[in-house]
Amino acid sequence: MGDKADVWQGTLALMVLKTLEMLGPLHGYGIARRIEQTSGDLLSVNYGTLYPALLKLEQEGYIDSEWGQSENNRKAKYYRLTRAGRKQLAKEAKEWGQTTAILARFLSPGEEQS
Amino acid sequence: MRKLRAWFVRLGGFLGGKRRASQDFAKEMESHLQLHIDENRRQGMSAEEARRNALMKLGGVAQTEEILRDRRSLPALESFAQDFRFALRMLLKNPGFTITAVLILALGIGANTAMFSVVRAVLLRPLAYSQPDRIVTLASLWKRTGHKGQVSAPDFHDWHDQSTAFDHMAMYSNWDVPVTVGSGASTIAEYVSAAPIASEFFETLGIEPFVGRKFTDDELKVGSAGAAIVSDGFAIRSFSEPQLALGKAVVVDGKSLEIVGVVPLGFHFPEKTDVWLTSSVFGEETPSRGAHNYRVVGRLKEGVDLAEAQAQMTAIGARLEEKYPDSNKTKSVAVARLRDDMVSDYRLTLLLMLAAVGVVLVIACANLANMLLARAVGRTREIAIRAAIGAGRGRIVRQLVTESIALALVGAFFGLILAYWGAKSLVALAPPDVPRLSETGIDGNVLLFALGISLVASLVFGLAPALQVLRVDLNSALKQSVRRAGGGTLADRLRRGLVVAEIALSVIMVASAGLLIKSLIALQDVQLGIAPEHIVMAETSVPSVSLDTAKRAVHYYTQLLPELRALPGVRYVGGTTMIPGHTSSNGSYYVDHLPANFDITSPNAIFTVVTPDAFATMGIPLQRGRDFNDGDTYDAPFTAIINEALARRAFPDQDPIGRSIFCGLDSMNAMKIVGVVGNVRQQGPASEPEAEIYMPYLQHPQPGTNLRVVVRTSTEPGVMTAAMREKMRAVSPDVPAKFSTMEQSLAETVATPRFRTLLLGIFAALAVCLALAGVYGVMSYVVGQRANEIGLRMALGASPGEVLRLILRQALGLAGAGIVIGFLGAAAATRLLTSMLFGVKPSDPLTYVAVVGIVLAAALIASYVPARRAMRVDPMVALRYE
Repeated sequence: MGDKADVWQGTLALMVLKTLEMLGPLHGYGIARRIEQTSGDLLSVNYGTLYPALLKLEQEGYIDSEWGQSENNRKAKYYRLTRAGRKQLAKEAKEWGQTTAILARFLSPGEEQS
Repeated sequence: MRKLRAWFVRLGGFLGGKRRASQDFAKEMESHLQLHIDENRRQGMSAEEARRNALMKLGGVAQTEEILRDRRSLPALESFAQDFRFALRMLLKNPGFTITAVLILALGIGANTAMFSVVRAVLLRPLAYSQPDRIVTLASLWKRTGHKGQVSAPDFHDWHDQSTAFDHMAMYSNWDVPVTVGSGASTIAEYVSAAPIASEFFETLGIEPFVGRKFTDDELKVGSAGAAIVSDGFAIRSFSEPQLALGKAVVVDGKSLEIVGVVPLGFHFPEKTDVWLTSSVFGEETPSRGAHNYRVVGRLKEGVDLAEAQAQMTAIGARLEEKYPDSNKTKSVAVARLRDDMVSDYRLTLLLMLAAVGVVLVIACANLANMLLARAVGRTREIAIRAAIGAGRGRIVRQLVTESIALALVGAFFGLILAYWGAKSLVALAPPDVPRLSETGIDGNVLLFALGISLVASLVFGLAPALQVLRVDLNSALKQSVRRAGGGTLADRLRRGLVVAEIALSVIMVASAGLLIKSLIALQDVQLGIAPEHIVMAETSVPSVSLDTAKRAVHYYTQLLPELRALPGVRYVGGTTMIPGHTSSNGSYYVDHLPANFDITSPNAIFTVVTPDAFATMGIPLQRGRDFNDGDTYDAPFTAIINEALARRAFPDQDPIGRSIFCGLDSMNAMKIVGVVGNVRQQGPASEPEAEIYMPYLQHPQPGTNLRVVVRTSTEPGVMTAAMREKMRAVSPDVPAKFSTMEQSLAETVATPRFRTLLLGIFAALAVCLALAGVYGVMSYVVGQRANEIGLRMALGASPGEVLRLILRQALGLAGAGIVIGFLGAAAATRLLTSMLFGVKPSDPLTYVAVVGIVLAAALIASYVPARRAMRVDPMVALRYE
């Protein structure tokens, strides 16, 4: 898995937090679907890889989980953003924004030249 | 922070709830699939298609589960715990190996920990004073000889007033003195260490009395009544409670002083002081710069380091040298940390012992490495199978290292038990005057030390077998039989190298111990100049305050000695201020007439006050002239007896009898030399005899009130003390007496050499035993390995004797290599011992011959059993293996 997974996990965590902020408590399948839809076809990975990221976030206290009933009466484990998670999301979103802004500025002159 | 939280959650996962978490995950996957299938169905897929699509999108569940399992717990810890459990199981399965290994380890760790606890108490632990690192001692430094000594009062005042590096500087002295408390029937008289002190003493050390107060400035002035402060122990001993001591009187050397304070438990500076008194009660301090009667401590100012203080004091010393050349020529100042100064006599001995015991541990580790190596070779197949079914090399090495750590921890546990007893025995064996020895104990730092050396040791001895594993060739290991596999040259070389190292280290240890033993024997064989057998001694002191009272006081001895002589079994009786190892006074002497200017560089002699018959009692031969007699009174012409060394130096080829001699013991009267006696080694067996002047006690009553009464008996000396004590009490109950025998007292003078010789001897014996075990192990292994070859040789006609020689030759090869390397090491190591040797050179050939003999004998003994086994190899059985 190596480095790619780390990058993926880093950004994946941010996507999970954002999804939970937007949609409220949601089960793993729902989160996976939402991320896939939002990213279009660009991100198409196995849904299974989502679960280690969820566990990590839970262990760090950014989300917590609870078994509940889905809209069509299926039992599912629901994940919910905690207060610490909300703060972390704000912080990471800001950092991510800065990073992309810097990178964008960095890369744009190169594009002009070509 | 968040990472830490996650770590704790995972630690929780490691400790329990694994099954539940796993079931939970299965349920979650189930629900995920269900939700996905539901949605696929809604989009119109068939049941089967919906399921396949969902499964495909989910990916490898087993893989995810694996990641999750690692994520839930701590995999490193998990595998460590697994290895540790496995290691303990392996150790339990092999009790013979385990007991041997744990025993060797416990010995090594225990000996080291015990030694370290002593070193820590004596050398390392800070003093119990406030900011102890700022407390220093200041001493006169004689630049020509490098000798450090006491300080004169005028020098002290110049140091005190001219220096700026110190918050406080104080002058004190100390002596053993009889002290009485109470009156009438409840009088308690005992010898205690007392310290007359001047101002700033307690401030310098940062100590406050916890009951009562410090001395006032008025009490410290000459002419005041003075006062005393006592130790907590003394107060409880004498008055049952510290508070009750306040206001009570304590009589020190005939002076009654009021107790105004009690210092906290454990404070006994200097040495073992129990009573501190205002030095003012003894009158003015001695005004001469040549009279070095005091000791000095100082407290460095915050932020001033030792070097700065030393530089400043050196400058002051140079100034005084220029200003007072008569008295201060070649005299400077030495500043040292109090702690370093206190333990300087023992530092080298203790560090040497720590090094020696460290060598024992290294040998123990080498032995264990060898044992583990043999086991690893035996386990080659097991390890190969593990590797074959997928265990990584790292994982296998980690498991072997874990086994070593488990072994080390078990060894450390038993080692600590051993260390507890060992430290106690060390304290009991050590010379009695080692400072702070009583503080020895097992504390947190000592535990940490034990744990530390165990882990280091486990790495050291665990490394060899782990390295061996890395070289195992899977293919051949699996194919071949256990016995032949893995006998790789690396393992063999490693094993032989370890044994050679063990032998070399033993050689160094045995050589060092041998040199110390020889020194001790030489020390004990030295002719001291007295006949020490059958002498009982009683240290006494008759209270007196002035010359006149002293003149009356010494009649105590005039009365006592004939009484003692009349006791049955007594042959001679006398009194003296000098016995070997204890002298009371020394200084310059002048022959024929006193010079106009005292010259401090004139030769010195030891001054000793004796009673008639003291020479006969001690067994000092009278070579010329006469002994003192009852006619040598204060009013008669003063007389003196000199020793041979003084006669030879001051009167070469002349007759000293009838000549005059002067010395400043207590008066400058001319003394007529009436006799010459044989030399005595006054400072103990390691010293050369010095010039000495003996003077009759009646003519020097003040020093004459502190005599050791010596009694030569024709019976066992110990049985005399009760009768002597009774007689002494009958003559005067106020004079306390401390009894001992001359032989006991002489034993104390060699207590330190005996201590280090005994310890190094024990450690060397341990080293040899361990090396012996090492040689035995390797030779047994070699015999096992060469069984085929031996069988073949025997089948071809070799006799058992030849086989025996074959094996012994190989053992001797190992021993020889070890001895040669050991000799090189010993040549370097024993040079460190030079200052501890007496009457023997570090390169003493006889010692080395003995070392070779001992080590070779040990190697032969250790290899004899395996060699015998080789002789009995059955050629048929051995050959069948081929």
